[in-house]
Amino acid sequence: MSTINVEQISKSFGAQKAVDNVSFDVEPGEIFGLLGPNGAGKTTSIRIILDIFKPDTGKVSILGGQMTEEKKNKIGYLPEERGLYQDLSLDRCLIYLATLKGMDEHEAQKRISEYLEKFDLAASKKKKVKELSKGMQQKAQLITTLVHKPEIVIIDEPFSALDPVNTQMVKDILQEERARGTSIVMCTHQMHQVEALADRIALISQGKTVLYGTLANVRKQFAKEALIVRTSSALPAELPGVSEIEKTNSHNILHLAEGQKPQDILRELLTRDIVVEQFEIALPTLDEIFIEVVKNKGVSE
Amino acid sequence: MNKFWLVFLHEYKRHVMRKRFVFAILSMPLFVVFIVLVGFLSVWLQIDNKPVGYIDQNQILENPQQVPVEKKSIFSPVPSLPFTDEAAAKTALNAGEIQAYFTFSDNYMSTGEVTMTSNEKPGANAEDDFGDFVSYNLVKGMPEPIIERLIDGSNITVRSLDGSREMGADNWMVILLPMLAGILFIIAVNISGGYLMQAVVEEKENRTMEILVTSVSPTQLMAGKVVGNLLVGLTQLVVWILFLIIGLKVAPLFIPDMGSMPAIDGKYILLIAGTMLPAFVMIAAAMGAIGATATESQEAQQMAGFFTLPIVVPFWFVSQIMFNPNGALSVGLSMFPLTAPISLPLRAGFTNIPWWQTSITITVLVILAIFSLWLSGKIFRIGMLRYGKKVSLKEAFRRS
Repeated sequence: MSTINVEQISKSFGAQKAVDNVSFDVEPGEIFGLLGPNGAGKTTSIRIILDIFKPDTGKVSILGGQMTEEKKNKIGYLPEERGLYQDLSLDRCLIYLATLKGMDEHEAQKRISEYLEKFDLAASKKKKVKELSKGMQQKAQLITTLVHKPEIVIIDEPFSALDPVNTQMVKDILQEERARGTSIVMCTHQMHQVEALADRIALISQGKTVLYGTLANVRKQFAKEALIVRTSSALPAELPGVSEIEKTNSHNILHLAEGQKPQDILRELLTRDIVVEQFEIALPTLDEIFIEVVKNKGVSE
Repeated sequence: MNKFWLVFLHEYKRHVMRKRFVFAILSMPLFVVFIVLVGFLSVWLQIDNKPVGYIDQNQILENPQQVPVEKKSIFSPVPSLPFTDEAAAKTALNAGEIQAYFTFSDNYMSTGEVTMTSNEKPGANAEDDFGDFVSYNLVKGMPEPIIERLIDGSNITVRSLDGSREMGADNWMVILLPMLAGILFIIAVNISGGYLMQAVVEEKENRTMEILVTSVSPTQLMAGKVVGNLLVGLTQLVVWILFLIIGLKVAPLFIPDMGSMPAIDGKYILLIAGTMLPAFVMIAAAMGAIGATATESQEAQQMAGFFTLPIVVPFWFVSQIMFNPNGALSVGLSMFPLTAPISLPLRAGFTNIPWWQTSITITVLVILAIFSLWLSGKIFRIGMLRYGKKVSLKEAFRRS
């Protein structure tokens, strides 16, 4: 059973249609990438899922039904607009927010200490939030999102303001959460992180879903007829079945002529006794797909 | 535990546990003590305890004695020294041994005429204390109750026709209490409303709002905030009232003339509580709603002035309410929700308010308080995630 089920939701603010007929599902134990350019309608969609906004049309089902106060305790949310109580000490702030998620104070205290230790924040727990650096506040916010062991985690730009060490730690934590069976919805512009983590994605542009599926399928869908080939000796200037050879620093990109199969090219290289070090089908990066889809969408409308 | 209590405790503790709050709570009594001390100092500077002289050639005072000094008085009376003739008194005056001398006229017993002679203006207490000295010695030897009446004068008690209420001439509490309650009310409303407004705006400004509303329902959040911040104001108020009671108990030990504290009618306290509490909730909730609609705390402060102004209006018409407590203006002010909390108790000090007027006023206030809470919850829900654009009243009523 899907933990989040979004069915054709639409929402307008005045004349502007922020979300237009968006649908997707999120399964337990998966990381779902919700992608899209700035202003595409991601935050509005999330706010509708979380029952902050009511959709004009469409339906959201969360953990098998409508949002209730009890279900709010099973959701961890890291909003795009970050914020903690600046004038409180870090531990008091975290404990308050954890108890609001239904934890009893003693349990919250215990688990927050563990997280503070893990995130290297234990020494700062008596400091006021406003005295912490941006990265530290970001980590504190992540603790708030995860401390109550939610069944659904919705995080907006989880890696902003984090250094590579902390980024890796957050990635590890997200993977642990996934292994625990948590549904994770991740919004980010960092496509390489989505590539590394997400199982499935939806790409929203101008309020509409323009791409939806597993990462592999989406990439295959956008695969061009091209090969990445690295050889120990130089390639001949022309090869049968190849319309263009593009040279980069480390490899060659072979654009196939229409109707050609990669196997034919490999066979050709082998018959010519060329030592092949790398031979793979050139799948586009998510970055490229993102740009292509968003640009085309802009042109077509 | 219900999340309302969590929000409530959080809101309450975050203000009360702060040093700033303790300073705020202590600054008022300290300020009052300071004012009283300055008052004493200015009196002290005006008095001169150098003796005065008197010439009593007609032996009006028999075997004169100094007025016995009460132990607890701070200011001891100016001693009065007898002189046989004016020349001796003048010599003493010029030598600086006395500050002035009084001469009884020949027909003093029928006219009460006394002449005072001094080189410079005598201390403010010299004349009064000599007067006390003369009265004390004139009535000396009479039965005690007669002395008391002659010296303290009459004490008229005004009683209403049905006998339900009465007011003594020395029952200054009837006037003082509503005035004092009114001032404390205005301060408390401003403190609580201010805290509340800040608390709501702050969460918009520091962007914790989104996390909060995905953890607590907006209704519980708003209710917890309103009650928490109201109690912060009430805590401050109760502490001040405690200081006031202590002050009133302690002050007579030093100032015997103040008399003892008059008793306060329980019903009267109920009336004050009945009008001020719902009005308090009503105004504070409205201020919370303003906080939710406003986009910056500064803007919210400006809008709050709109509510505090009408509360103060009755103070401009105090004399109207005192001398014409049943006039149209007094009745109107005591029934209009925003002016009622101060006008109604004030009016009640001077007249018997018909029960229906009191009931209507209190009922309207309670209804408005509930309405105000409901509306602020609603506005809060619409305005909580909106930055840069205000919520219009039309929107608040239209949207769910």
